[in-house]
Amino acid sequence: MSDTESAGDPDPAADGAAPDADAESTGSVYEGANLDKEDVVLEVDGLVKTFGGLVATDDASFQVERGTVTGLIGPNGAGKSTLFNLISGFYEEDAGTVTVNGADVTDATPHRIAEHGLIRTFQTPRKLEGMTVREAMLVGPQSQTGESFLSLLTAGDTVREEERANLEDAQRILEEFEIGHLATQAATDLSGGQMKLVELARAMLAEPEVLLLDEPVAGVNPTLANKLRDQIARLNEQGVTFLIIEHDMEFIMNLADPIVVLDRGSVLVEGTPDAVRADDRVIDAYLGGGE
Amino acid sequence: MSESPGPDADADAASAGRFGDLTPTEQGVLVFVAGLLALLALGLVTGGLGPTYFMYLIGLVGMYVLLSFGLNAQWGYTGLINFSVAAFFGLGAYGTAILTADNSPIAGGISPVLGLFVGLLLAAVLAVIIGIPTLRLRADYLAIASLGLAEVVRLIVLNEREYTNGSAGLRGIPGFFEGWPVLSTFPQAMPGLRIEIVPGSPIVLQQPFYQALLNVGLVFVFVAITFLLLRRVHRSPWGRVLRTIRGDEDLAEALGKNTYAFKMQSFVLGSVIMALAGVFYAHLNLFVSPGDFEPINTFYVWIAVILGGSGSNRGAMFGGFVVIAIREGTRFLNGIEFIAFDIGPLRLLAVGVLIILVMRFRPEGVLPPQRELIWPSALDDADVPGPGETQRPHATDGGEQS
Repeated sequence: MSDTESAGDPDPAADGAAPDADAESTGSVYEGANLDKEDVVLEVDGLVKTFGGLVATDDASFQVERGTVTGLIGPNGAGKSTLFNLISGFYEEDAGTVTVNGADVTDATPHRIAEHGLIRTFQTPRKLEGMTVREAMLVGPQSQTGESFLSLLTAGDTVREEERANLEDAQRILEEFEIGHLATQAATDLSGGQMKLVELARAMLAEPEVLLLDEPVAGVNPTLANKLRDQIARLNEQGVTFLIIEHDMEFIMNLADPIVVLDRGSVLVEGTPDAVRADDRVIDAYLGGGE
Repeated sequence: MSESPGPDADADAASAGRFGDLTPTEQGVLVFVAGLLALLALGLVTGGLGPTYFMYLIGLVGMYVLLSFGLNAQWGYTGLINFSVAAFFGLGAYGTAILTADNSPIAGGISPVLGLFVGLLLAAVLAVIIGIPTLRLRADYLAIASLGLAEVVRLIVLNEREYTNGSAGLRGIPGFFEGWPVLSTFPQAMPGLRIEIVPGSPIVLQQPFYQALLNVGLVFVFVAITFLLLRRVHRSPWGRVLRTIRGDEDLAEALGKNTYAFKMQSFVLGSVIMALAGVFYAHLNLFVSPGDFEPINTFYVWIAVILGGSGSNRGAMFGGFVVIAIREGTRFLNGIEFIAFDIGPLRLLAVGVLIILVMRFRPEGVLPPQRELIWPSALDDADVPGPGETQRPHATDGGEQS
């Protein structure tokens, strides 16, 4: 699905059990591999987060290479969503660093991190009361002139030009997602699946470097799920990097490469889908075997 | 910018359009407003209502419309829960009163125009001070802090006598146009008039009437300026971010919006508008006292906004009108002979019942917002499907564009 630049470096790291032989998916290794920094769009290093006595994230480290669709899986309670919240700035980490595009964003607020090109979606998007789909879409574009109160009074023409361009972009992207007809519908009227499509479409208006999707197909019917997968693959071909949490194994295994497996807050295994599938520790983690 | 005079214009202006184009709700609102105005006019010609008092009522409506605009810019746009409307209103009133009142301990006799700016500035400063710690947190914290704020401000004004005159209040505040050419002497210059429409109950227009007329003109200007400003800034990327924050603040953050800054702007804007109402009040009433900070004033404004429809400016106008109609209208019910008790004091009960009815049958308010927050002229130009192609729930309430 996604060919990475650092191909041909078969996996020695965390994963001894599964030799990375699959030729079709050139697995890339994160931990310990000497990747060119330019190719790493997101780097998580030694993240720790505890809630009271509970260690939700325990020294988690991995990297997301530019141009990949990286899957983040793990059993319930493994700390996937916590990790997302740490990366996107919604939680404050106890230790560790997050780097986006070479910039250290460890202590940055979520909106600053978004400005660095990391956009995320939420597992259960709240419906936006009183907004149409295109209105909701138009919140996506970054640094709009019309978001400044003063510019509204002094630079009406600039606002107008930008707004027009954004409006047309929004419509175009909705068409590409085959939901152009929903543009003027109330956002509250959409189904959960449609809302997820709109979220993805809106994220594209923000022109992200890396897009974090939190369970994009949870509760989405199979037809729409396929559509979402196709869209993600298409956008990935256009150069968008993805990091996706997903419980639907078939979906994520077909879409992502590499896969990062999280268990009890730290990275258990990472590798190609085949390697992950064959790894005994992953099976143990999911079946609750443990040590 | 092609400003479209649509249903967003105030209810009276809309009546100039085609009545049949309005939705049943809008027609109902118009009929209701027209009915009340007719009742007032009837009172006027039959002598039941003095012309000066009539003008005073109109001024109060304008003041409540301003207050509702202010709260709407905070709660309706952004979802900020501000329970200290009275504090910002009172600061506006005291800001100008301290400079202009005869018995002001620290100043007096200064031009009300300067007082206006000082009143607005005080409110803006207080909004920033209270906003810094609370707006970084969830919405509930502002609510809690603001509950206490109004009381704190009232107690300070009550006790800091050397600055505020304490419970004695500030007296001898001049009219707003004091010192202006022409307008300052307008009430004296106008001839007394005697109009007799219904024989035996003449309407006598004298100096106090013209003074009140000036005040109505003033509040009309304040309301118009505020309305035009809000209309311009709300249907914009800025207003859109505020509406997103109201719906889901985390989402706005995740999309790269500095929600703290947006909330602060919305909070300060609303507070300044409330202070504007306060400035008007000081020059209308010519006397201010710590009683003006009473929390009941805050809740009347909340009722106006909830009733009218959060987020909608014309809803705020309607709400302000209704609140004054209830507050002042119930005074006249005391005189009804065949009811054995006074009805006036029951006005809060009436308000409560009204709110319950609105919540039950129209939780979004009587005139909820119905427009997309997209820069209007861009929407006209852009090569995208028009709003008529598919419907949104409230869009059936009227045209998006005219």
